[in-house]
Amino acid sequence: MSEAMVGFSEICRESGLMVGLSHTHEAIEASKKGIIKDENTFRYSLKSLFCTCVEEHPAFDKCFDVYWRKRKHNYAHKTNSKGTSNIRKKSKSSLVMAGFNPNGYQEDPKDQEEASNVTGASKIESLKHTDFSKVATIDSDYLDQLTERLLRQLNHRLKRKLQTSKKGKIDLRKTIRNNLHYGDDLLELTRRTRKIEKNRLIVILDVSGSMDKYSFYLLRFIWSLKSHLKNIEAFIFSTELIRITEMLHHDQLSESMLQMTHHAKSWSGGTKIGECLKAFNEEYSKRVMNGRNITIILSDGLDDGNADMLGQEVQKIKLRTNKLVWLNPLKGMEGYEPLAKGMAAALQSVDNFHSAHNLSSLMELENILGNA
Amino acid sequence: MIPEVNELIERFDQLGYVVEEELATVLLLMLNLQKPILLEGPPGVGKTEAAKIISAYKNTDLIRLQCYEGLDVNNAVYEWNYQKQLLSIKIDEQSSLTSAQKEEHIFGKDFLLERPLLQAITSDHQTVLLIDEIDRADEEFEAFLLELLSDFQISIPEMGTIKAKHRPIVILTSNRTRELSDALKRRCLYHWVDFPSFAKEHAIIKKHIQEIDQQVLTQLVTFVEHLRSQKLQKIPGIAETIDWANALITLNTKALSPEIIGQTLGCVLKSNADIQLVRSNLNEMLEEIAS
Repeated sequence: MSEAMVGFSEICRESGLMVGLSHTHEAIEASKKGIIKDENTFRYSLKSLFCTCVEEHPAFDKCFDVYWRKRKHNYAHKTNSKGTSNIRKKSKSSLVMAGFNPNGYQEDPKDQEEASNVTGASKIESLKHTDFSKVATIDSDYLDQLTERLLRQLNHRLKRKLQTSKKGKIDLRKTIRNNLHYGDDLLELTRRTRKIEKNRLIVILDVSGSMDKYSFYLLRFIWSLKSHLKNIEAFIFSTELIRITEMLHHDQLSESMLQMTHHAKSWSGGTKIGECLKAFNEEYSKRVMNGRNITIILSDGLDDGNADMLGQEVQKIKLRTNKLVWLNPLKGMEGYEPLAKGMAAALQSVDNFHSAHNLSSLMELENILGNA
Repeated sequence: MIPEVNELIERFDQLGYVVEEELATVLLLMLNLQKPILLEGPPGVGKTEAAKIISAYKNTDLIRLQCYEGLDVNNAVYEWNYQKQLLSIKIDEQSSLTSAQKEEHIFGKDFLLERPLLQAITSDHQTVLLIDEIDRADEEFEAFLLELLSDFQISIPEMGTIKAKHRPIVILTSNRTRELSDALKRRCLYHWVDFPSFAKEHAIIKKHIQEIDQQVLTQLVTFVEHLRSQKLQKIPGIAETIDWANALITLNTKALSPEIIGQTLGCVLKSNADIQLVRSNLNEMLEEIAS
């Protein structure tokens, strides 16, 4: 029994669930208490132990079916290594097929199909997404250094702006503590103020074909932002939306990029801004937007999709954020007017509309972030 | 279903709480393993109610901590009674006690105000601790909870570590307005409470409002179920359905007509955009339901 449970935990772990030793231990404990007698009870119990969010349920169910069900409850028998390895392969491949990834974003195969039907762009995606990792060579080291330096400055200034003042409510607890040695008189008052928290930054980057020239560069910028600001959420989209916050954690940009290439199937594809922002609103906005945030959309606004929908979705984002900034690389071009239908629809709800074609334009972000 | 789960479902039913097999199993597991449980789900699906019913089932006190932004240790765990401390310092002014003795005195048990978490830990019998809407609290507070949830102990700098005499049954709820930390989730059982099925909602309302007409009830639940499938900004929970049912009883309704729905829509939909949307599509919706 214990062996079987350890095997199951391993499979779950491989599929991206967070299963620790203590969980396995508890699962064994619970099985001893009789939950194993009935399949449903067994499934529900393990599910509550092994899953940490509802997005993990499909992956768990798959693992459970593959491991316990197909073997017709042979759990009491010893798990021979051959058997498990087979199952492991099976479970893994089926999970990959289901499009599960540990970041909790569930891709719907139907959606993908729809995407490729509508834009016809996804077909060349598979080709594009291999050479993407080489893009790194284009950028010069000098530019990188400059970015780093400017970013440090940016963060530094932001911090100073948010310093706490010495005024505020009297903190009785500390006052009493600090004044004990005076006897009964409170000579020194200790005060406290609200801790000022930085606004969360949400960045949504367009990586569609029309943005090709800029997207790597901007992604690099986001990656640098991530290493300097704690509170940031990042997404990329073209025909589908992908959350990349977790992938940005790596120390090396190349590693982050590599991981993104695995997930981003529609890199340099068509653009469906409206639908991607809709996906953002439906899946993530409630979770990542807490009313204290600044949202930055980086896109050229050239949209294949429905312009009205784009307008509505941008409006929805606006309702949940303190400040909505749209950075458009094309705005740097002389004589550019936001005439693209989608762009015009979106502009009604946007607070700031800026260019994003070079570093100095990105550095203007400082003012935007500071004033919020 | 194992007999213990069945027993639990029946017992809850007597107490007036309709629970499906999965939740009952998880609650049973929680009682057996003595592990905290995190109930996540949209608002108004009975997460808080589950805690209340567990306390009724266990016949013990329910200690509730409502989380909010800015909730800190002072409000959640303990606070010193400052007024009393100040008075005590004044009284002891003339005494020959040393300053160390004075300090020991004013940081003693008499001066401690217990807040919910400390109450739950120090209680002399097992209690149910409900930490409601944990997603509203700050990340710092979440981190503070880690010690409590894994070891059931609380450290007070002035007094040392206080260990629970009886492990409380801990239930956390979250509406998912933000992602909780992995560390917290790891320490809890997890269950996603979704909107109820038709049968469940039917049973729940029947349980709450016995006098409701069978036909109206069926129409009502079907309509609400249909509402949930619409793209609304705020999807109605069970609480809203109950409110609506109550409203219909008060208005002495015999059948759910478009007029009645239009008049009482405010009971279930809490956003103007939603109400407008449903009003404009009401006839089509009713036709769809009928077919």
